[in-house]
Amino acid sequence: MSARQRTLGAYRLAVRLYPRRFREEYGPDLVALVTDQIRDEPTWRVLARTAIDLALTVPSRHLEAHMSRSATTVVPVIFGAVALSAVVVGVTVGSIGVLLPCLAVAVIAVSLALVSAHRARPLTERRPTTGNWWKLLGGGSVVLAVLIGTTNATGELPEGAWFVAMVTGLTGLTLIGAGIVLGIAHLSSRANRSTTG
Amino acid sequence: MPRSKPLPAASLHVVLALLDGELHGYALMRRVEELSGGAVRMGPGTLYGTLNRLVEGGLIEETTDRSPRTDNERRRYYDLTPAGRAVALDELRRLQTLVHRTAGHLPGAAPA
Repeated sequence: MSARQRTLGAYRLAVRLYPRRFREEYGPDLVALVTDQIRDEPTWRVLARTAIDLALTVPSRHLEAHMSRSATTVVPVIFGAVALSAVVVGVTVGSIGVLLPCLAVAVIAVSLALVSAHRARPLTERRPTTGNWWKLLGGGSVVLAVLIGTTNATGELPEGAWFVAMVTGLTGLTLIGAGIVLGIAHLSSRANRSTTG
Repeated sequence: MPRSKPLPAASLHVVLALLDGELHGYALMRRVEELSGGAVRMGPGTLYGTLNRLVEGGLIEETTDRSPRTDNERRRYYDLTPAGRAVALDELRRLQTLVHRTAGHLPGAAPA
């Protein structure tokens, strides 16, 4: 058996280290590419470069495979369901001491749903982060409106609920502030692009 | 289409290499090496990992069955999608602007 055949045999075995899905999709192509390389370059050089490539890419392909399992639409839907459940529980119970913590949980769950939905988007749909300014502004306004509406409807806040109300109010104000800042940045970057373009 | 951040280095080299037309894996690897003056040598795992991400991202597509092939072995060909071509040209303009502006600030260079 020649050095070339031994190298190819070893590489065929090494390809099995990649995640199953990647291996099934690209395994024959990987081997074909190394076959082409060995035809055109010294075997020892191909062997050295391929060993380094394997050491770097096998862990990263496994990491990607793991990450892609969680970066699907399932995760935003789960967080959305948690937010909806929190609102339903809070409204059903009716007590301000339960409603405000539920509202806080809903705000956090909606934020996580937005973040996970953003991460799951394909490359072609990437947009500047500043383009989301209106979502923050709208979300903050909704949070504040719900908080004001709830406190008006229930009258004076019970003991201990003021802290949750304050955190919720601050969250709303932070979202509005972030929305305004990103909106200004977005508009100025658009103005710059139209000037330079 | 405005982009939030530049493409990663490997993806950038692949989309720029495909601007001239479709290529199969090995030809693409050689093209990237040629374009970078030998500075970028992608291994098989790096190349196909990058192709996988770009296909999933809709920037490139497999074009193997689009036209008859003369290769003895069946190879898989890849080409830019319209969105991928737009991104590649966008990246090219970004790099040209970067080089232009940087060169303008070098000592002894003519003002940009």
